[in-house]
Amino acid sequence: MTHVLAAAAALACSLGAIGATPLEAQRASGQRDSGQRDSAQRGIAIDARMAEDLGLAVGARVRISSKPGEPGDSAFIAAIYERKADPAEVARREYRVRLHLDQLQQLMELDDRVDRFAVGTRDGQSIDSALARINHVAFGFRAHKSRDVAVQSSRTFRVVERFHFAIGIITVVASAVFLLCLLLLSVEERKRDIAALRLMGISRATVVRAIVIEAAIVSLIGSVIGAGIGWIASLIVNAHFQELYRTPLVFALLTPQIFAFATGLSLVLGIGSGAAAGWRLVKSSPLALMGR
Amino acid sequence: MRLMMAWATLRRHPARTTLAVLGIAVAAALLLDMVMLATGMSESFRSLLLTRGYQLRVSPKGTLPFDSEATIDGAGAIVRALRANPDIKAVSPTLGSTLTIDRSRIPSAFTLGLERDVQGDYTIEAGSDITHADSGTTAPLPRIVVSQTFLTRAGHAIGDTITISSGLDAQLRTSARSSRVVIGGMGRFIYVPGETPVIALDLALLRQLLGPSYRDRMSLAMAESRRGDSASVEAVRAWIATTQPRVTAISTETAIRQVEERLSYFRQLAFVLGAISLGIGFLLVATLVTLSVNERRGEIAVLRAIGTQRIGVLQQVFLEGLLLTSAGIVGGLALGLVTAQWLNGILRDFPGLPSAFDFFVWSPAAGWRALALLLTSGTLAGLLPAWRAASIPIARALREEAIG
Repeated sequence: MTHVLAAAAALACSLGAIGATPLEAQRASGQRDSGQRDSAQRGIAIDARMAEDLGLAVGARVRISSKPGEPGDSAFIAAIYERKADPAEVARREYRVRLHLDQLQQLMELDDRVDRFAVGTRDGQSIDSALARINHVAFGFRAHKSRDVAVQSSRTFRVVERFHFAIGIITVVASAVFLLCLLLLSVEERKRDIAALRLMGISRATVVRAIVIEAAIVSLIGSVIGAGIGWIASLIVNAHFQELYRTPLVFALLTPQIFAFATGLSLVLGIGSGAAAGWRLVKSSPLALMGR
Repeated sequence: MRLMMAWATLRRHPARTTLAVLGIAVAAALLLDMVMLATGMSESFRSLLLTRGYQLRVSPKGTLPFDSEATIDGAGAIVRALRANPDIKAVSPTLGSTLTIDRSRIPSAFTLGLERDVQGDYTIEAGSDITHADSGTTAPLPRIVVSQTFLTRAGHAIGDTITISSGLDAQLRTSARSSRVVIGGMGRFIYVPGETPVIALDLALLRQLLGPSYRDRMSLAMAESRRGDSASVEAVRAWIATTQPRVTAISTETAIRQVEERLSYFRQLAFVLGAISLGIGFLLVATLVTLSVNERRGEIAVLRAIGTQRIGVLQQVFLEGLLLTSAGIVGGLALGLVTAQWLNGILRDFPGLPSAFDFFVWSPAAGWRALALLLTSGTLAGLLPAWRAASIPIARALREEAIG
């Protein structure tokens, strides 16, 4: 099998750009490599999703063209590759084909043109000076640091991250109000018990401490149950989206750090709510709490 | 009377009632936002696509408009065939490319080649529209329209003359073709992201600049069906698909479906969070009313003992839940609209989306439906505690109340 290397400077192209119809037509004829391959015939690599959908296998011969309906060039499938778990591409349903650079240039009648090329500096230290020198002589193009390109291309995820953060704030506010409301009610429901404790001589601080401890335990148990529900939900979410987008990308992840953060936040909210509810109750006299 | 009693009960515990209303308001706001998110993308995209009345997009076979650099060859014949169809009112061919701008702060800009009289890509905000590229040395320079971002980043103003080029040779430092043009106006580009500097010029001029291989090419064409109903649009789409095998014709509905597919994450997130907020609203009202009823067992027993009908108690407790939910929904509506603006501001930073695209759009039907659902859910949440309150055994409850 010819090993197809994706040239670093390969022109990015979609299937539409190189003609989907001829490939599909070739699939119908279903020819496999039979050892009679033309010496000029080149190998191409296709993504696994495309191979699966069109029933193509390594060795199959296809015709590729830059315009639908034209004969184009003959090529054989030398490799089938799995796409990276790249979130930037996850929602794109298009197929990907990788060709040798000169093969694509010839097919697209682009002579000696590329969309971009990567440059590696010898020692990794002289990036700025290399950048300055390239841009000084550049005509019609610009050089950028890989880091800057990465920052630019990760904008989507930064936006999604900010959106998740905002949704998280709303959810935490809703949870905090819910928790405070529940604790207030559960404490108020037991005001006679608390009045009895106070009449027995138990101090206000002890009563509040007891309520706070109870709130903390409730929060902790709630967090563990919530984490369990979250973990099951993450399994469902991953299974659903991995199937939907046909990607190994992990969409929802419950890490120990996330669990620790959620539990910590829940404890803080629970203790705060418990303290507020307890303190509100012990401020009243025991007899008033008894309804006398 | 029942309403007043329910109101008096809620007023007796102001802190508890305020917290409950606040909780329901946050849940209602989240639900409203999620409904706006789920429906907003489609609505926004639809209005964006139909801004200039074109219901159909014709793109290279197998691609979405401007999803790849593929172009359609033999564009002239295709456009002529479309224009000859009596069911098609207008056709707007577009060619997209990147041109270099000489002696400018930005080296290049995304360029759209359009036919002025039928273009549906921009609206003029200042200055004048593009002009045809006339041949001859004495002809005035062609005028182009640029975006606000272009003017800001390139440091040019309306009326400036610039040189645009293509086919650069980095070795010889020359361009194959160039043209001097005047910035005639500033436009708002409907489908181009706000952060992209963009130029619009006459289609023939752009083809000329891109060289012989582009003389009969276009990136896409927009077509407007004479009759706007979906059946007629679909008939025109099917006709294009049958008669033009080298292109893909996409209707507004198909385009919306494909964009929704790409952004399905947000729709599903909206569904999950919307369901959670409904659940929170239900639980909050159910818990609050249940505890409130438990607390007032003696009071309810007294009411029953002095002759209040079971249905009366049921109505009063039911009204408490209804009042709580209603108050929460009113607050939630205001809170939801404010948070929607905030969240929309965050998502509008999404790279590559047209600046006019909104994620959160207030759709009255969907919004009111969601709030009505929450109201029903909250009111129903009070139903079980109300039934329990009405079913309290009077004698036992009075004895328990007396003993304490």
